[in-house]
This record gives sequence, C-alpha cells and structure tokens, in this order.
Amino acid sequence: MKRFLRRTDLRPDAQRDVSDELRFHLEMRTQEFIDAGMSPDDARRAAARAFGDVSSIDAELRAGRGARTRTRDRRDWFHALGQDLTFALRTLRKNLAFTVASLATLALGIGATTAVFTVVNGVLLRPLPYADPSRLEMVWLRSRTSLGSELPLSSGFYVDAIPNAASFTGLAAFRSWPYTVTSDGDAEQIPGSRVTPSFFPVIGVRPLLGRIIVDADAEPGAAHVAIIGHDLWQRRFGGSPAVLGRRIELGNESFTVIGVMPRGFAFPRGAELPRGLQFGQRTEIWTPLSFTPKDRKDFGTLSLAAIGRLKPGATAEQARRELSAGLQRFLKANAPKLDLDYQLLDLQQQAGDHVRRGLVLLMGAVTFVLFIACANVTNLLVARTSARRREFAVRAALGAGRARIARQLVTENLLLAVGGTALGVVLSGWATRAMLARVPGSLPRADDIGLDWRVAVAAGVVAAVVGGAFGLVSTLQVRWSNLAGTLHDSSARSTGGSAKTIGRRALVIAEVSLSLMLLIGASLLALSFVRLQRVQPGFVPDHTLSASIVLPIPGDFNPKRDGPGWARFFSQLTAQLAKSPNVESVGAVSTLPLTGTAEGGALEIVGRPRPEAGQAPRADYAVVEGAYFETLKIKRVAGRVFDSGDLATSPPVVVVNREFVKRYFGGASAVDHQVICHFDFSNGAARTIVGVVDDVQSASLDAPPRPQVYVPEQQMTYPGLSLVVRTQGDPTAVLPTLKREVKALDSRLALANVRTLDAVFTESLARQRFSVTVITCFAVSALALAIVGLYGVIALSVGQRRREIGVRMALGARPSDVLRLVLGEGLRITVAGTLLGLIGAFALSRLVASLLYGISATDGATYAASATAVVAVTLLATLLPARRATRVDPTSALRE
Amino acid sequence: MAGSDLFTGTLDILILKAVSWGPRHGYAIGRWIRETTADDVIVQEGALYPALHRLERKGLLAEEWGLTDTGREAKYYTLTAVGRTHLRAESKRWTRFSAAISRAIAAASA
Repeated sequence: MKRFLRRTDLRPDAQRDVSDELRFHLEMRTQEFIDAGMSPDDARRAAARAFGDVSSIDAELRAGRGARTRTRDRRDWFHALGQDLTFALRTLRKNLAFTVASLATLALGIGATTAVFTVVNGVLLRPLPYADPSRLEMVWLRSRTSLGSELPLSSGFYVDAIPNAASFTGLAAFRSWPYTVTSDGDAEQIPGSRVTPSFFPVIGVRPLLGRIIVDADAEPGAAHVAIIGHDLWQRRFGGSPAVLGRRIELGNESFTVIGVMPRGFAFPRGAELPRGLQFGQRTEIWTPLSFTPKDRKDFGTLSLAAIGRLKPGATAEQARRELSAGLQRFLKANAPKLDLDYQLLDLQQQAGDHVRRGLVLLMGAVTFVLFIACANVTNLLVARTSARRREFAVRAALGAGRARIARQLVTENLLLAVGGTALGVVLSGWATRAMLARVPGSLPRADDIGLDWRVAVAAGVVAAVVGGAFGLVSTLQVRWSNLAGTLHDSSARSTGGSAKTIGRRALVIAEVSLSLMLLIGASLLALSFVRLQRVQPGFVPDHTLSASIVLPIPGDFNPKRDGPGWARFFSQLTAQLAKSPNVESVGAVSTLPLTGTAEGGALEIVGRPRPEAGQAPRADYAVVEGAYFETLKIKRVAGRVFDSGDLATSPPVVVVNREFVKRYFGGASAVDHQVICHFDFSNGAARTIVGVVDDVQSASLDAPPRPQVYVPEQQMTYPGLSLVVRTQGDPTAVLPTLKREVKALDSRLALANVRTLDAVFTESLARQRFSVTVITCFAVSALALAIVGLYGVIALSVGQRRREIGVRMALGARPSDVLRLVLGEGLRITVAGTLLGLIGAFALSRLVASLLYGISATDGATYAASATAVVAVTLLATLLPARRATRVDPTSALRE
Repeated sequence: MAGSDLFTGTLDILILKAVSWGPRHGYAIGRWIRETTADDVIVQEGALYPALHRLERKGLLAEEWGLTDTGREAKYYTLTAVGRTHLRAESKRWTRFSAAISRAIAAASA
C-alpha cells in the first residue's frame, strides 16, 4: 500500500486519469461478483448496473478534472517563475561585480539611446499638437532661378490664390508682428503674429477661453482684438478668466483680449519656419490680419507665410497643381517673365527637416553605443555561463531538464535587461535634460520635449530585444554544451568550445570597429568645429552689448507716416548713449550678424540694361544707425561709411560689402555707382554707393558670404533695430544706462534679446557644439566599452590557456614569447576591428559630409590618427592580461 | 435521492471517515460504505466518484496514483489536515442532528 511510485504530477492527462480510475473500480467490482459465484459476463453486467451511468459520470468527472489541471498548470508555472526569480536574484547578488558591471554597461547604452530617442521623438516623430496635422501644408513660392525656394507670399499672391485652393478646406496667412506689452506690469517684448480669420480653423485648435478671430474683427475700422497664449496669460494675468474683455496696451494701442489659447500652443514658432520670417521662438499674441485694397494688389512685398488644410482625400500634389495653374494664368496675363511657382511643404517636414540629418546621425551613433554595450554584456554573460557549467551539470544530474535550466538563464538575463533598462530610463531623464540644456534654441519643438508613450515603448522594445538576445545566447550555450560530460571534465582543463571563442572575438571585433567609426565621426566634427571657430566673422564681437528695440507700429505698417519718428528716436538714443560713461561707440542695425535673420531684395544698378525677370541682382539689406561699423569694427575697404551728414534730406547713399562688389562689379570699384533698391519699403530712389566694407557672416559662420547693402536709418526708416554698444570693460555693466536712456525717450518701450555679441557668436555655433559634444561623449564611451570588452576576452583566454602557457614555459618559452603570444591574439582582434571600422567609416562618410565645414568626410589624416589611437589604446588593454600570463607558474599550472 | 443536500452531506462524511485510517482507492471506499451501511446509503456506486473529486478539489482529500497489493495501478485518496478537521466538525454536527431527528420521531410516534 505504501509503494506510491507515481505522483499525480506525472499524470496531467485528465482523460486517462478519469477512465483509469473508473476502469479500476469496475474491474474490482466484477472480480467481487465473480468471487461471489457469478459468470464473468454476468459479473461485468452486475458491476455496471451497480455503478450507474458510466459514460455520463465519466464525462462529468473529465470536465471537472480538465479545468482543475489547467489551474494547477498555471499555478505550477507561476510557482516556478517565482522560484526562478528568487534564484536569479540570489545569483545576481552573489556575483555582485558581474551584476554591477552589466547593469552599468546596459544603463549607459540604454540611457543614452533613450535620451537621444526622446529628442528625436520630440522633434521628428511626435505628431504636431494640432488636429490631424498630416493634412497641414505650408504654402510657399519657389523660383527656379536666383530667388530660391520657401519664399513667403505677398498679400497680392495670397488673395489671388484663395479661389484656386479647391483642394483645401481653408487657407490662412500670417506674419510676424512683435508687440510690446505695456499694461499690467513692466514693458515686455512679446513675439506676436497677425493672422487671417481663417488661421485658427485651418490649424484646428480651439481657444481655451473665449473665441477666435472672426471675419468682422478683420474688417477695416474694426475694434482692436487680441488672443493671448497660455504662458502669457499665466505670467501677466495670473491665469484669471476675467482676462476676457480686458484691454491691454500693445505698443501705443489698446486691444481687447477675446481669447486664450490652450497650453503648449505657440504656432507659429520661429524654429519651425524659415528664419527670414523672423518669428519669435513662441508666438504669444495673435491679432487680426486684414488686407487693404492696396495690399490686395501688392505682389512685391514677400512677407506672408501661408498654411492650408487639405480636404480629406486630396493630395498635396493635386493641391499644388491647382494653385500653380491659377498662378501661371495670372503670371501670363501680368508678368510673363516672372519665374514663380507654388511649393507645398508638409508642416511636420517643415518643422523638422532641417535638423533631421543631424538627429539621424545622433541616433545612429547612439545605436552603435547600445550595440557595443550589449555586445559587452553578452560576452560577460557567455563567460559567466561557462564558469557556471559545473553548477548546471549538477542541477541537470539532480533532474532539472535542459528546458528548465535554459529558463532559469533566460529569467536571469531578462532580469538584467529589465534592470538595465529601468536604470537607463532613469539615466535618460537626466541625460535628456543635460542635452536639451546644450541644445540650440533653434531646435524645433525642443521646449516641450519629454518622455511619452513612444519613448516608453521604444525602451520596452529595447529591453525585450536585449533580454531576449541574452536569453537566446545562454539557451544556445546550454543546448550546445554537453551538460553531463562537464561533470567528468575538470573545468580548468576545458578550453571552451572554439565556436564560442570565435563568437566572443567576433563581438569584440565589431565593438572595436564601431567605436573606431564613432571616433572618426567625432574627430571630423570636432576638427570642423575648430575650423568654424577660426572663421573670421568680419566683425569683432568682444566688449559689445546688443539689445533689440521694436517701436510700436500703430495699425498698418506705414513708414511714410511713422518713419521720421522712428529715425528720430534711434538717432536720439544712439547720440545719448554715446555720451554715457564707459561707452566707446554706439550703433544700431536691423539684423544682427550671425543670427540668420537677414532679409533680401532685388535691386538695379543704374546705367546697366534691365536684366531678365528673376535675373536681377539681389542683396541682403541692413538698415543701420549711428556708428554701427565703428562699433563692430567692420573694416572699411573703400570710400566712406555713413556719418551724421546722411539725413533724410541729403542725397540717398548706401554702403555695400566686398562680396557685392565682387559679384556685381567684377572686383572693380563700385564707389559712386548708383543702385535702385526694390526692398520692402524703399521708395525707389537711386542711391549712390559711397563706400565698401568687409564681408560680415550674416547667416552663420559656415555660410558663404552674400552680397550686402547697408542703408542709413535716416533714409530708409525701420522700426525695429538691434542696438550695439561697445564699452570699456564689462559690456553688461552698461545695461542699466541703456535701460534708463530708453525709458527717458519712451517709457512704454522694452528691451529684448539683451546679450553680448560674444554670446551671439557662441550661440551661432550652438548646434555644431551640441553635435560635437554628444558625438564625442558617445565615441569615448564606445571606446571605453570596447576596451573593457577586449580586456575581458583576452583575460578569459589567458585564464583558459593557463595550462597551455604552463606547458610552453616548461618547454622553455621565455616570458617575452608568452607576452608576444597574448599580445598577438589581442592585435589580431584589434587590427581586424580597425580595418572593418575604416571601411565602415568610409562607407558612411556621405552621411556626415553635409555637417562638416572645411574638412573632407574622408580626410586621410583623421582616419589614420583615429585608427592609430584605437590600436594603441586597445593594445594597452591587452597588455595587462598578457603581463599576467608571463607570471604563470608552470608547475602549478600543470598540476591543476 | 442522490444529489440532495442531506445525502451529499452524508456521503461526504462517509467518504472522509473511510479514508480516516489511511489511504484508500475509490473501490475500497465504496466497498467500506456498502459494508458499514449495509447498502443503505449508496444507490449508485458511480455517484461516489464525483464526490471524491469534489472533495479533492476542495482540498479535503489528496490523491495519488499508486500500486495495490496485487500490483495494479489505482488512485489512492488520503485525508488532508483540512479534511480531518472538517470530518471532526461534521461528525459532531451529524450526531447532534441525527439525535435531534431521532428524538423528534420518537416523540411523534409515542
């Protein structure tokens, strides 16, 4: 009775369990009847009769049993999982050094990847926060000739395009319009936009409070209304709903607040749109944009951005063709030689395209780091699993199946992967903040980058893939190794399967090659950065403070009416400041160098034949006041610069730059020639070139110089200038004076963008500095990880070859021979990795080429230096285990 | 009669009692009940098995396959600790209950 050999665990088959039990009963009962004297047949029938309905009871039992088996299986599974987890945690704790090393490596790789992905997601992947953003298209003009692409529209073109926009549910125009808020607190310059009433319906965003701008608001003579952004509302109005209907002073005018936009809505954002349009980083005030009859006929002032929402089912190409057909009809009738067409750009593309390449490069680089980190941990795991062969063999001998051992390993490795990912995500939060702090303000949408579900999913996928890969490696290892054989085998004597060793080496070779590729990329970027910093910007930025002032524009932009006031203000301000203590000289300019906000226009050179349409000379123009050239120390090349004699009443003059002379006068003297400028608000007068100055980098340090025309403020009035003040000593020390003088002239004015020119210079390189810093960090981490990986492989190999080395030494090998043996092994790996890395870097050089300045993406010296550096440091990594190998004691090694 | 609460309760107690001296298989349990109650309780022997499985599911019995003295495979049922407690409580309740019924019947027939 006590000999229970089979346990229920071994009979999971519910059907057999039930039928066996019932059959046993019936057979025993039949035997009982036979023993009582019945014939076997009668006995069988009697037993069945006594039992009742066999088949229905069988079915009933079976149903109950099946459900129970399933629950039990589930319970067993969870129980085993619990066991696995507990055991895995204990094992990991026992091998603390291994665990810490793996977790740190994984956290580094995953943290960096997640951080970069967070930024990439925020800028490129995350949909824009507008209703159905994929159907929003920016509408620009494009010319195949000199004018270029992504040109703004004029009001005439915009009005003309509306009837042809059949594929759009609506078309809206908007333009930058900075405001100075003077009520409710200190005067503050706030980026604003004038928008057509169709703007908010097209974007598809409703106000948080109040209403949007309607057609009646844009009628001539309508009451001034404004919609404000969430931040502005919080900042200046304490988030009170009572702001609706309040009057706020914008410049010299009073506006009624009719709406508050929801948090995060700041379209148009400067970083998403072409820089020439001068939108602020976040728009916070929206006012109506309307067109006078004169505006409707204005085709020359290209200052409007336009956006449309495609109808469901309509394609961008179809919409473009319709717009284009209308434009061509119009041009044919009015300006047959004008080479213009419409260009549609998906808003998401518009917002992210110019940074896509840089971000993709970062993503690629960080993927390399992640791969190297994973390769390292894999190698550690493989080494450790080898070291645990005896443990597994013992467990196998005690009855654990291979599947069970494999599951144990997978559990351990998944635990590592999940732990590493968790740490990595925590690390990435910090790394993302650090990166965004260094990121240029021109990175679109950087102001609301954060972790979202896409990042979480990506991190999860990385964890699963990494964990799965580790698990697979260990499983394969268990499958390949002969567990039972291991017990007979002394682990010290087993040399490790050659397939496994090759695998480990291949991983390290890949690590070395990837880190070399990163190092080459980082070196190229760093060298190009150094070269960029050495570029002469054409001005001397030290000891100079700049601050922008925008004078209020009452109603429409009308230089004829308001211009003299603007000119008077700036000449008084610069004159007053020039007399202040510690100030050397003062000037002002409409577009600061290196800010990329230069505006351009066409011009005619008097005395030359009229050029073909679209072939006219073009130049950027800058309006200057005071001693601008002296303050920035821009070199005079010929003639004179402006002086106090160039007034509205004196003959119109301009100063041009060297590039202008080179391009339009072939280097001959341009002084005393006359030009007619067709700029935004020039009056068509012929202006005499009185002087030539050196080229100044207007857009960025790496851009080639562009023809430039300087006009005095007194002769071409402009309401928004940046002051530049050259000082003795610390430039920021004159800020109080600056503020006082501005207040003295007009108490409602505010200074914006107060910064030194040194800061302007530094900021203009922010994106390059960012790429260099991040990629260098990645390259250094990658190289460090690769060194650790190589060290691990060589150290393990030395450990495994102790006997062999002992034998060699016993047979007379000298320590130097042993050293050469081990170093040779390291060198083979390093050289293979370096060669692959050079090939890889060469293959990928096209990707970095566009990010470089003054250096070729296949610069031989950089490649050679990086390769040498990698070989040198990796050889150092093999030196340590090699030295240890020379100290192997032959007698003890042989006795093992 | 089979399936009524009274009968179910009775059969459960008898089964638990049958295994209270050690592991028994289903046939042996049924035979013991037949012999001790002189065939009065079990009308259909098949009804025993749903009861056994139910008690096993409730954790009052444990089951295990084993070999009989004659070398045949059979499923043995053992009383668990929970089952033993249950048996004790139920026996007490049953004794009180049947005593009460007996008194009532005695009074009625008097």
